[in-house]
Amino acid sequence: MKKNLITFIVLLSAGFILNGQTTDKLVSNCVMNAGPDCKYLKDFRIQLSKAPAAGEMRYKAQMSLWKNTKYKFSLCTAEDSKGELILTIKNDANQVVLSSFDAKTGKTYKSVELTCNRSGIYTLNYDFKDGQQGSGVGVVSMVR
Amino acid sequence: MIKGRSFIIVVLVLLTFNACRNSSGRKAEFVFPEADTIPVSEAEKLSTEAIEDIARNISSPVEIANLLQSLAVPFSPDYLASSIDANKQTTSFDKAFTLGVLGADLGYLNMYEKTGSSIDILSSIRKLAEGLKVGQFFDFETIKRLSISKSNLDSLLFISIDSYTQIDRYLRDNSRGQLSALMIIGVWIEGQYLATQVMTEYPDPVLRDRIGEQKIILNDLLLLANPYCSRDTEFGELCRDLQSIKEKYRDVRITYTLGEPVTKEVDGALVVEQTETSVVDMTDEQLAGIIEITKTIRNKLIANN
Repeated sequence: MKKNLITFIVLLSAGFILNGQTTDKLVSNCVMNAGPDCKYLKDFRIQLSKAPAAGEMRYKAQMSLWKNTKYKFSLCTAEDSKGELILTIKNDANQVVLSSFDAKTGKTYKSVELTCNRSGIYTLNYDFKDGQQGSGVGVVSMVR
Repeated sequence: MIKGRSFIIVVLVLLTFNACRNSSGRKAEFVFPEADTIPVSEAEKLSTEAIEDIARNISSPVEIANLLQSLAVPFSPDYLASSIDANKQTTSFDKAFTLGVLGADLGYLNMYEKTGSSIDILSSIRKLAEGLKVGQFFDFETIKRLSISKSNLDSLLFISIDSYTQIDRYLRDNSRGQLSALMIIGVWIEGQYLATQVMTEYPDPVLRDRIGEQKIILNDLLLLANPYCSRDTEFGELCRDLQSIKEKYRDVRITYTLGEPVTKEVDGALVVEQTETSVVDMTDEQLAGIIEITKTIRNKLIANN
């Protein structure tokens, strides 16, 4: 019984460590693959279970974006995810500025470039397509 | 009676039509909230997520350095807080604030790839981080190696920024939020100092706007500091300094012209251009006041250290 418990704890710890390493690797790969003219600014590490019902995008974070700056939003999904990571950005009036998912065609983009002409605080909304389970990284870079 | 009802309907239709017609090109304005100060009770209610959001809203020194580069402003070591001696920082207040200031300087050095000169700053950052018992999050050896080799700016930026993000999160998670707030305020003040000093030497309308646009996040900065304003005299003075900066921004106007974003696909990638714009209305006197107060406060805080 005691042996089983120790084995369970060891396996559980190993799982956490491996998961951490996988996320770190995903982040660094996503940063390095953003593009040669990109300068890293921030990253968002997203891990979500399957949504019980369709609804609003679940991971929200605020970020200031500045006029006269070109940003690149890269989206990297972990291999074991059921859905692809998508992003919608809204301004402070809750209007959609961009979305990496085209609802009309069903197409998703792995990166979106934004030429910002309005300085302000924006909300970055992340989720996995169709509210699926998944983990991924959203990287924000500046484009020179 | 019917005539009266028809009149009301016509007026309502006209009002609705007028409102819709103006919606695409109308102007909105950014103003500070009514109250000059944020009630402490409100600030204390800030969730971890809200504080993280505020931290992200502070303009990154890397973004300011990128803007300066795009304006072809040459690098100058004169803007750096080189007078700081990490060994003389005795209180946690000094250590955390200085950690923020030097973080901004490191971002400036990295962006200009003056990484050879960043070793002294790196050593100071390590000392300060160790002094706050957060040295484990600052990957000094890797950052130093990347700085010396000048081989991979992307990795250098990522590891440097990520180290600061981890320190910030650890401090907040361990009930040392006041140190996290100080670090963030230090980063902002140094970035603001850099932008305003460059403005005096190389005036440029884009840089001028960026300085004026800081009004957008000033309230957030105060919100972050507010729970600690009555903590001790040092914090109290810092809060008054931030209020003085806010006062200089009071009459700076930021207006917005609305418009739909233009989206297109270029080589399989999505490219979006905003047509809505922000416009800063700031007089030369207001700008001069902001430059002056920033310099005074930053130099005072550096000298205290």
